[in-house]
Amino acid sequence: MDITLEKSAEARSGRATWLDVSTQLLKYAILLLFVAVFLVPVFWMVSASLKTLQEIYTFPPQWIPESFKWSNYVEAWYAAPFGRFYVNTIITTFFGVAAEVILGMMTAYAFVYLPFPGKNVLFLVLLAALMVPIHVTILPNYLTVARLGWLNTYQGIIVPGAAVAFGTFLLRQHFLTLPNEILEAARIEGAGHILLLTRVVLPLSRTTLVTVGLIALVGKWNDFLWPLIVTNQTAMRVLPVGLSYLYQQEGTNQWGIIMAGTIFVVLPILVIFVWAQRHIISGLTAGATKG
Amino acid sequence: MSKLNRRKFLKAGSGALSALALAACGGVGTTDTATAPSGAASTGAAPSLAGAPSAAGAASAAAQSQAPSAAALNTAGRTRVLFWSAWGGKNAEGVQKLVDDFNASQSDIVVENQFQGSYEETAQKLTAALAARQTPDIATMSEVTWNRFYLNQTIQPLDEYFTKANFDPTDYVEPLIKEGTRQGKIWWVPFARSTPIFYYNRDVFQKAGLPDRGPETWDELREWGPKLMEAGGADMKVFAYTTAKNYNAWHFHGNVWQWGGAYSDPELNALLDEANAVEAGEWLRRFVHDDKMGYMAEDQSTDFINGVCATTSQSTGGLGGIATSAKFQVGTAFLPQQKQFGCPTGGAGLAIMANAQEEQKQAAVEFLKFLAMPENVVFWSKHSGYMPATNSARESQDMQAYFKENPNYQVAVEQLPKTQKQDTARLIIPNGDQTIGTGLERILVNNEAADKVFADVAAQLERDAQEVKQQVKDVPLT
Repeated sequence: MDITLEKSAEARSGRATWLDVSTQLLKYAILLLFVAVFLVPVFWMVSASLKTLQEIYTFPPQWIPESFKWSNYVEAWYAAPFGRFYVNTIITTFFGVAAEVILGMMTAYAFVYLPFPGKNVLFLVLLAALMVPIHVTILPNYLTVARLGWLNTYQGIIVPGAAVAFGTFLLRQHFLTLPNEILEAARIEGAGHILLLTRVVLPLSRTTLVTVGLIALVGKWNDFLWPLIVTNQTAMRVLPVGLSYLYQQEGTNQWGIIMAGTIFVVLPILVIFVWAQRHIISGLTAGATKG
Repeated sequence: MSKLNRRKFLKAGSGALSALALAACGGVGTTDTATAPSGAASTGAAPSLAGAPSAAGAASAAAQSQAPSAAALNTAGRTRVLFWSAWGGKNAEGVQKLVDDFNASQSDIVVENQFQGSYEETAQKLTAALAARQTPDIATMSEVTWNRFYLNQTIQPLDEYFTKANFDPTDYVEPLIKEGTRQGKIWWVPFARSTPIFYYNRDVFQKAGLPDRGPETWDELREWGPKLMEAGGADMKVFAYTTAKNYNAWHFHGNVWQWGGAYSDPELNALLDEANAVEAGEWLRRFVHDDKMGYMAEDQSTDFINGVCATTSQSTGGLGGIATSAKFQVGTAFLPQQKQFGCPTGGAGLAIMANAQEEQKQAAVEFLKFLAMPENVVFWSKHSGYMPATNSARESQDMQAYFKENPNYQVAVEQLPKTQKQDTARLIIPNGDQTIGTGLERILVNNEAADKVFADVAAQLERDAQEVKQQVKDVPLT
């Protein structure tokens, strides 16, 4: 009896491990598929940036360039003042993200913790702003910026995008989940609004803040249409607009050079993303272990 | 800890806000100063540019953005002309060199070249700029977009200014300048003009035992088809059409004329549903679906370069890129005829904005005059692959020598006088290009009968034409 029991247990566990392994394999297969979906285009971009035009146009595709054509990077860099574009992009992105995050968190704080009349109506108005597609606001924004004399200026690029309802919305939803007891405790200790915000609310919202910051960062860094519209001079252009300097109007595009230029644009944001996502994960796990 | 009440908080908040505004203004401060150092930076970079290999050429033109290059010259007291251009890549260098040369050639005018994106993006920016009264003096407009600005009467007729500048516009190649002439006045001058030409794979032609020339007629190409497919291997198609997104309506425009039809008449009435045009569409349908010789390529240049098709129709602007990328001998020819010859023009020209100051207009015409000088037309044409826009340039020794070296390019130029301006359906009717193009896709992909498709397209064109018909009555198109 003991033996049969053991045997059946063994059999069960044997079946179980076999099942485990196969589901595990399936999981990995699915994961690999997703990895491929995300990474193949990136790989193609990197590999194309090192190819000659002829190699890019070859079918079936050649995945690894025959000889690495590093001169694509040199040509892309000198085809337009990319150094200047970097400076402009860093300035507009930094102030743009700072403005968006600071305004977003203060607005969200006000919506959650301050009593004032018409709060819900105002919040609805804010949500409505979220629904307006950006293309609708472009012309009025352009006219306003032009009348202010802000064409070809940093503030012309930054200010119209400084207040974005999305960040406010995300932060407000998060603030609402914070336990009131902690805030009560802080208030009893004598903390005012600024202290509450900086010492209590924000540290508890790090994950959401990083998320909002990242979304804003990627959005501002990659923004093409608005900076193109409000700037006319090369000296004021940003990186994504700079890419269009590499395109031919008619005829054959030098894809190798364009891909090299694209790497200039995405590389910094990729590095920041990898660095920042650690914070999102650590934020998530920090909450989990406290229970 | 002092307790912050709401009022104090609001105060602090507004303080933070104004600090932010100040920070943004800090940005302003740097803007003005930034232009000056950037000049220094780009000159500072010059030695390293010269050291860089082929990139050096690409660098100097684009890297010296308008402001710095203007700073290098003494621009005090000069008339400043703002020029919106639409060329990136290699052509951007060419445009910048012309501008720099012009600025260096005299001491009264300084042209500032500002790149604005593609033809379409430039047109959109210009529309917004008109609303904000922030327009340039000269703008690049494509063969399609210039009509919008003409119909809205936002561009300037130039004849008077030409006379004052002692500039003879009859030197421009006739079909090109005629296209920009309306109500007996010149509104839009040719600069970067192209046409479709016929490309063929000479290696495959030779292997198939065919003469080294393009087919006289489409029927001849069809006769050659089996030989070409045999010579090119199992997968090779005879001719590649393209997608609506890739302007198949531009390429098919020649076909419609070659069959004796038209897209529309000058009064914006669609003619695509008439017998000759339908015949052209039906020929295409049979060629693709019954003969299996033609097909729709996402990008016919790529397919041609890779030997997927033996022949195709593509812009003259693609000549340089195709010739250098293909691993075989590339041949070019006039577009095949059918009942007659037909080939549309394309590309872009320059126009002067009506709301520019009088002084700027005259100065801008001086710049146009400079661009039309034979050596500059030749330079730009060689650099970009666009057609030489003037007769004097075409006949110049320099150009003739270039033709000898590049017989393919000569073919494109010889075809030029035989080209004509496109029908209003593609130029004027809103979205006309895409309406026709998606119709063609229905034939190319779905094998739908041409008469039915073109009837639908014509109906759609008629509907879309309504909104501009009145405008066309007020502002004549001829």
